[in-house]
Amino acid sequence: MQDVISFVLNGQRRQIRFGHEHQPTDTVLNYLRNQPGTKGVKEGCAEGDCGACTLMLAELNGDQLQYKAVDSCLIFLPMLQGKHLVTVEYLGKQKQGETELHPVQEALVEANGSQCGYCTPGIVMSMATLYKKGKQVEKEEVEDALTGNLCRCTGYKPIIDACMKSCQHISEDVVDEQADQVISLLKDIKVEARSIEIRTEKQQYFQPKTLEEALDLKVRFPDAYILNGATDIALLVTKRHLLLETCIDLSGIDLLRTIEISGDYLEFGASVSLERMKGVCQESFPAMHDLLAVFGSRQIREMATIGGNIGSSSPISDSLPLLFVSEAEVQLTSSKGSRWVNMNDYITGYRQTVRQPDELITRVRIPKNSDGVVMKFYKVSKRKDLDISTASAAFSLQLEGDQVSNIKMAYGGMAAQCLRVPEAEQYLIGKTWERKEVEAAMQMIAAKFTPLSDARSGAEFRTSVAQKLLLKFWSEHA
Amino acid sequence: MHEFMKEMKQAVPHDSARKHVSGQSVYIDDMTINEQLLVGRVVYSQRAHARIKKVDFSKALELEGVHAILSYRDIPGENQMGPVVHDEPCLVEEVVECIGQAILLIAAESDQLAIDAERLIEIEYEDLEAVIDLRTAIEKGNVLGPPRQMKRGDADVELPKSVHRMQGELETGAQEQWYLETQTCLCIPGEGREITAYSSTQHPSETQAIISEVMGIPKNEIVVEVRRMGGAFGGKETQANWVAAWSALLCRATNRPVKIRLFRDDDQIMTGKRHPYLFRYDVGFDEQGMITALKIEQNADGGCATDLSFAILERAMLHAENCYYIPHIEVIGKVYKTNLPSNTAFRGFGGPQGVAAIESIIDQIARRLKLDPAIVRKRNFYGIDDRNVTHYGQEVELNRIHTIYEQLMESSEYEKRKEEIAEFNRQNEFYKKGIAMTPVKFGISFTTTFLNQAGALVNIYTDGTILVNHGGTEMGQGLNTKMAQVAARELGVTLGRIKVNATNTSKVPNTSATAASSGTDLNGMAVKHAIDQIKARLQRLAAELLSKDQERASREADICLEEDRVFDRQHPERAMSFPELCLQANLNQVSLSAAGFYRTPDIGWDKIKGWGKPFNYFAYGMCVSEVLVDTLTGYYKNLRTDILHDAGDSINPGLDIGQVEGGYIQGVGWCTTEECKRGAKGELLNHSPDTYKIPSVQDIPIDFRTSLLQQAPNPNAVRKSKAIAEPPFMHGLATWLAIKDAISAVRDHAFEPEFKLPATNEVILLSIDELMRR
Repeated sequence: MQDVISFVLNGQRRQIRFGHEHQPTDTVLNYLRNQPGTKGVKEGCAEGDCGACTLMLAELNGDQLQYKAVDSCLIFLPMLQGKHLVTVEYLGKQKQGETELHPVQEALVEANGSQCGYCTPGIVMSMATLYKKGKQVEKEEVEDALTGNLCRCTGYKPIIDACMKSCQHISEDVVDEQADQVISLLKDIKVEARSIEIRTEKQQYFQPKTLEEALDLKVRFPDAYILNGATDIALLVTKRHLLLETCIDLSGIDLLRTIEISGDYLEFGASVSLERMKGVCQESFPAMHDLLAVFGSRQIREMATIGGNIGSSSPISDSLPLLFVSEAEVQLTSSKGSRWVNMNDYITGYRQTVRQPDELITRVRIPKNSDGVVMKFYKVSKRKDLDISTASAAFSLQLEGDQVSNIKMAYGGMAAQCLRVPEAEQYLIGKTWERKEVEAAMQMIAAKFTPLSDARSGAEFRTSVAQKLLLKFWSEHA
Repeated sequence: MHEFMKEMKQAVPHDSARKHVSGQSVYIDDMTINEQLLVGRVVYSQRAHARIKKVDFSKALELEGVHAILSYRDIPGENQMGPVVHDEPCLVEEVVECIGQAILLIAAESDQLAIDAERLIEIEYEDLEAVIDLRTAIEKGNVLGPPRQMKRGDADVELPKSVHRMQGELETGAQEQWYLETQTCLCIPGEGREITAYSSTQHPSETQAIISEVMGIPKNEIVVEVRRMGGAFGGKETQANWVAAWSALLCRATNRPVKIRLFRDDDQIMTGKRHPYLFRYDVGFDEQGMITALKIEQNADGGCATDLSFAILERAMLHAENCYYIPHIEVIGKVYKTNLPSNTAFRGFGGPQGVAAIESIIDQIARRLKLDPAIVRKRNFYGIDDRNVTHYGQEVELNRIHTIYEQLMESSEYEKRKEEIAEFNRQNEFYKKGIAMTPVKFGISFTTTFLNQAGALVNIYTDGTILVNHGGTEMGQGLNTKMAQVAARELGVTLGRIKVNATNTSKVPNTSATAASSGTDLNGMAVKHAIDQIKARLQRLAAELLSKDQERASREADICLEEDRVFDRQHPERAMSFPELCLQANLNQVSLSAAGFYRTPDIGWDKIKGWGKPFNYFAYGMCVSEVLVDTLTGYYKNLRTDILHDAGDSINPGLDIGQVEGGYIQGVGWCTTEECKRGAKGELLNHSPDTYKIPSVQDIPIDFRTSLLQQAPNPNAVRKSKAIAEPPFMHGLATWLAIKDAISAVRDHAFEPEFKLPATNEVILLSIDELMRR
């Protein structure tokens, strides 16, 4: 056990001891902003929507460093354990008292990509992380990398231009120059690392290294907050200013980050990040890939995990409808053993599930599509990107000739929980896949739901769009 | 080109750009203060309209690390913040008039402690009847002041005589400024009564005045300094005063530095937005779509206090006709009181609302007559030699709208694309395309005439470096860069010699807000005026020094300052470096410092009669936007947008293009995804970017083409440039009407769709549903 954390900040090894000055649920953003020399990082919203606090996080993967852009407002300090944190101050090279800018910084200056400058350090970090891909980028990649960075001044065009331009000729940057040294520091930390157990006056925070330890903690502290990415739970701290008394952080458990692909299914450890999952699904599960492409932002997806998303069991969780129609299964594990539950049986009500207090979500298994099954996910939100669903729907369709041999549909945002529409499914099975029948099924969808009016939209819109999503699915797969 | 010439000519980057990208720019929250620093927190009303029955903060005060909790009783000066009308208490006394109104202030050693303290405070309310929407306020006749009117001809007589007549309504929504840096102020106590306030304000002089009034101390004890703001957009014109006054109160009460930086949600809940408007109109027009008469009522939701609502209303009324000559027109403006945070300035300052209404009207006229809206717009444009006087009596001089129209309609291939779109729409049932063109004519000047003044203080040091102080504030627009360019040009030196200082009320006093797009026009002239004085002294001295011991003396008028050198044009060998001359000035007892001042000449405006010349000149621009609407989800995609904008002889085209593109995208946000929704009790439902959606990188046009009008010098402003900032915001309306055009295509343009602003996907889809039911 250890009660301190070790990480590398801008090439220098750091250790944090908790209790007096630092609390385990202090965010990385607040930590840096209270240190001299790292005030470049900004707070714009404290909820992972604006990206002004974007930083680069590097992790050891074998002998290589893997870079990702993250929102530092949603990361608790212990989650830095064993990682390299890069801030905007690190990117420029100091030469004879002058700062020689990083190529992405230089490009941003030239393109007039900065006006008031408050979003700029975050944008620089997203750009620099993209730059670390080490190859020329397409406009779509640039847009994806910048979706999580709001700018109110420029209208984004010069930022996109600067990003495209700087990634045309990749050269060794300051991050590369010091990579060997950082790798060696991280390896040292890794060798020394034990499970983390932090106890302060008001809090206890665990970061176990094995699943067994985690399950044991779950028995001891059944009401503890489970942190698996924490992009949602961190809001309790940054927005509601709550004290999280007991936290079990799963980020130290390697086993939960494994991915298995067999002939029949894709299986993800609960701590697989959504960004990694998106990459895996590109070929083997395009509907999930498309879903994840409009899930939060790059920064959010790098931290958020599939287990965390299912665990939140929110009625507007983007992944649920597709997991429902694909008959995915979730593995629940306690110290007594594991069981697999079909997603359709997993959720029982508004943020209610069959998971027992001593159980953790450990894996998710998604059957591969049988030949001829078409799946599609649709999300409707006020802004297309980096927005939470107003309503969403997933469809799975199997045709024999022009007859529907099977269809499944599940809706998010329409009720207190994600729901299938068995009435419409049953109606359509055996019918010709034609507009007339689809329109009849749309009536059943309307009848099924009594949605809410809230900050995202009114009920009338939800009812209207829910029906039309089936028509849209039909129009694209007729 | 020589480096010197390049700088003069222009597209130099923002003077803070290198600091911005490397994280070295210092915003108030980044300033390093000693351990004495306390944070301030505001306890605000949770009710829209209520009598406060009880306030008990005794338990909170006992918390260790809490240094002060203040109520209105602790205000040493006047409990009043209203910038124009005195109707805004600094801290509420008995009755709260909106959710978000400040009741108590806490100073504590950390944010968390301040929050803990707040949780121990008990406030009891007795609810009073609250009016939380504009329509109810109109029904009840809850006005904030007397109505305003502007009128020419007799619309009442002409309307019934018109060939066609149409009546209607349009709603435009509120918009949150969403500056990235929330409202922030740091106050540091000095000796005696002195206070230095580092404030993120567009109006340092007013911030100083409000602190003075609330604290009951004279202005000469208060210094307000602004290095830069992390965005403002009007939201920090008056409403930055709140956190400044509150932190000053806490600073004095604790005698320690106090910083208030609002959390994002608190900022969105507490501060005012762009005014929502409800327009009601009655318009007459002929077969050609020429407007013969218009009667329009502009109803603004002012929120719970006056703030700048009447100036904003005035600008909405002054832009009720946009680019169009309307022979008989009557504009009636009213501001209503609701129990919402007082609405305030936001880029365009009422102009966008006024323009939205008339553009919507023209769009409807065109649909009714089955004419191309672009043609109807062109027909109604102000003429060059006739039909060129506005409804408030100002002549439309140097009208560039025709030139812009010709150029943009061609470069954007409007007509060709309109045909392609019609074909696309015939072929596709579920996707529809739309296109629209909208122009803008925007009056430049504060309509409150006395505000059109500015000051500067230019200091030159003996090493030849120059420190420019001016009264404007830097909020990202590049004002300081332009001021440095103006100064460099006037003194004939390289930009490297010039530093523009943080704006400071002790350097340049009694300034106007950096607002109304006037920053460069006003402060540029003031800087030039200061430099002209020093330059004359330097020329006189140089003439003397350079022709010492010479047979023929150099004439002052022949002394040139160019490329860091000073020389006699008649005798170029008589030369010295600029720094050498500066050193000599000091040795020869010549002052190297001067204050500059400027007032806009030849403008004047009778608010009561609604007649005169309120504007120094007009800025023009035009936008053509094409969108694709998914009729099954209400999503739209901005396919291509072309903008041609008039920036005069741009001082810095790089910065100006940035203003045009950024302004347009902000306008698109107002027109599409930015919706302020309120619950039944007046509470703001979307108070963070989780639910309040400004445009992201994915929302800009796939094909985005912006140009500045070439060869368009403006005789009325510094270096023949033109104000930028606000006018491009209105280009967003082209995208709004393009969306409507796509909706209308669902029924082949046979019906007028229901439409409002913003056109969220909800509005779009429900409008399509409604069309399908007809």
